[in-house]
Amino acid sequence: MSKPGPVDEAYEPYEPRRRVPLPVYWVAIALALWGALTLWQDSTADRTGARERLMEANALERRQTMTGSALFAERCATCHQADGSGISGAIPPLASSRFVQADPRVIVQILLHGINGPIVVDGDDFNGHMPAFGSVLDHDQLARLATAVRRTWGPGGIIDPRFVAAERARTANRGIPWSGGAEIAAALDPAIGIQPAYHPPASASADTTALSIARNGKSGGWSCASCHGANGEGRDGVPRLAGQSADYIAGQLLAFANGSRPNDIMRPVASQLSASERGGLGRLYAALASPSTSRSELAGDLARGAELALYGDDRRNLPSCFSCHGPSGFGVAPSTPSIAAQQPGYTAGRLAALARFARSRPGAVMPAIAARLNDTDRRAVADYLATLPPSPVTARKDAR
Amino acid sequence: MNDRNEDPATREPAHDKVRGRNTRTGIYAITGGLLLFLFAIMVRDEFAFRGRENSPPAANVPLSFTPPPMSKIPDGPEGASIRHGMAIFENTGTEAKPFVGNQLACRSCHLDAGRKADSAPMWAAWVSYPQYRAKNKKMNTMEDRLNGCFSYSMNAQGSPSGGPPPKGDPIYADLEAYFHWLASNAPTGAKLKGAGFLKLKLPQAGYDRDRGRAVYAQHCASCHGDDGQGRTDINGRQVFPPLWGPRSYNWGAGMAQLNNAAGFIKANMPLGAGNTLTDQQAWDAAAWIDSQERPKDPRQKGTVAENVVAFHSGEKTFYGKTVDGHLLGSGTEAPVQASRR
Repeated sequence: MSKPGPVDEAYEPYEPRRRVPLPVYWVAIALALWGALTLWQDSTADRTGARERLMEANALERRQTMTGSALFAERCATCHQADGSGISGAIPPLASSRFVQADPRVIVQILLHGINGPIVVDGDDFNGHMPAFGSVLDHDQLARLATAVRRTWGPGGIIDPRFVAAERARTANRGIPWSGGAEIAAALDPAIGIQPAYHPPASASADTTALSIARNGKSGGWSCASCHGANGEGRDGVPRLAGQSADYIAGQLLAFANGSRPNDIMRPVASQLSASERGGLGRLYAALASPSTSRSELAGDLARGAELALYGDDRRNLPSCFSCHGPSGFGVAPSTPSIAAQQPGYTAGRLAALARFARSRPGAVMPAIAARLNDTDRRAVADYLATLPPSPVTARKDAR
Repeated sequence: MNDRNEDPATREPAHDKVRGRNTRTGIYAITGGLLLFLFAIMVRDEFAFRGRENSPPAANVPLSFTPPPMSKIPDGPEGASIRHGMAIFENTGTEAKPFVGNQLACRSCHLDAGRKADSAPMWAAWVSYPQYRAKNKKMNTMEDRLNGCFSYSMNAQGSPSGGPPPKGDPIYADLEAYFHWLASNAPTGAKLKGAGFLKLKLPQAGYDRDRGRAVYAQHCASCHGDDGQGRTDINGRQVFPPLWGPRSYNWGAGMAQLNNAAGFIKANMPLGAGNTLTDQQAWDAAAWIDSQERPKDPRQKGTVAENVVAFHSGEKTFYGKTVDGHLLGSGTEAPVQASRR
């Protein structure tokens, strides 16, 4: 159709127009629609995600500024019960307790240092062991907790964080729990009334062999203190031993030695020890009331950790930690260890190690449970347990 | 559009023709594209949602049920009653102290505060009462049933008051409020999955207390103790419940029957490792536990032999049998310190 004549200098080659096959249109249109749908769904997901992140941040903030009653529900209710009624024969009630009614110094000092000794509450005798919260809660948290308890069961009023700070400073060198109701009444508020006398247990003479192994090691081997700390407080992935059950420690040393608990670091150390040395080390560490140095450090979700420790997760067939390790994680002698105030790196690592035995040891309880915890849950529960007060030191009744 | 040389006279129809063709093509393209898109969506959904739909529930297939989370307990007076019911359930020896004659609590056997399937969960119990029970040959309300729990499982005969809570006691109302809340949205009278204890068929080899002793030593003793007396924590609080002896359930309790104990053990024990024991092991462990002496049956009027006829015929139980020269059912002495829990 071009004109005849000399070659057109401006000639542009072109392809004759051909019709695009229909299927190409179909695919193109379908793809365009698909793309639009995906974009729309993504943007919804993005909006949902943003909303969830915001909610999470708010929840985190709420947790950090947990109200006094929330602190009570998580820290105190496992023993004193949500309604403050205590446990008949074991845990004193808070409702109708003169210690809650008394001068505010009483509740603050009990929270800071704990109690170890006989106490009479509402006419009933108790000989319990209240943990010390001084090393795990700050002035602010303690003030909120004490205020909530006094508002619910006491005379009300507000306890100021500065008051808590002053009380903490005043008794900073105390180091041991209050020796029962008598000492509290005498030192803090005589209005509490007559309390049973405290008879200190006959102190066993110091086991110099155990002390030497703990500090210097045995025949050139590592000392316990070189990893577990001078006061058995543990660090990073090394467990806290202070306040652990004596039988449990001795039993684990034996398990390291005979290989039933495989551990390349502990095996050579434990193999050196005789039965009496294992027992001596167990008693030595069981008697240490070192403050907790454990802190949440695995970025675990503390609320989830608390949920697992207190209630478990029935959807995943997980019983609560406390159903076997005792209502505050202080352990049940002789076979169930204390898990409160444990170093989170150790707890999470130990759970991961136990999970590997789930297949080879069917029927073993902890491997089965550990295998049902995913990594996030292990970190959550380890971090939560690290925030608990350490187990009180007591001459534990073995086998009940 | 490249028909530049065509005669202007013929242009109009050609243009119309092209336009018509383009429109037709457009319609075909859009329709086809839309169909293809819809087809792709259908394919995707077919794969994404395959198996997710619930088939309509058949009449006899048990429904699964999940109780509401604790955080959903309402506020107000109703919530207070529910909470108190839960406190009684968890801390029976303190909250219902006058009526408890042993170291157990409701939650000792109804695990996870009465929520756990296959450990006689309370949401399933709530929707199946009132109910006729052969045990007392009458129509039982939930209160009647709870009265039985206190009489037998909680051994009320050894309690400070010497019996279960009297008719109309608020303990019943609060417990019922808790159960009612647990069963929120559960269909009344329907068969729920996980109700009661697991029905475990008796294996070929029957049950044997000597085999059971070995199972017990290997799988149960580390928590419940060689002597079956459970364990307490540093404050003297019972963590693992006693399974026999004066501080456990009495001979009238459902758990004293082997089929119930075996079903409970199979599904729930060791705690956290349920369903790891074989049926045989569960029956044998139950035989060991339930062939130990425990508080006497409170219904007993005459001799144990007479009481076997009156209340224990047809049960799978060691009640009234003589084991190692001892007549089981004779009962135990009252414990020294009954209030401790």
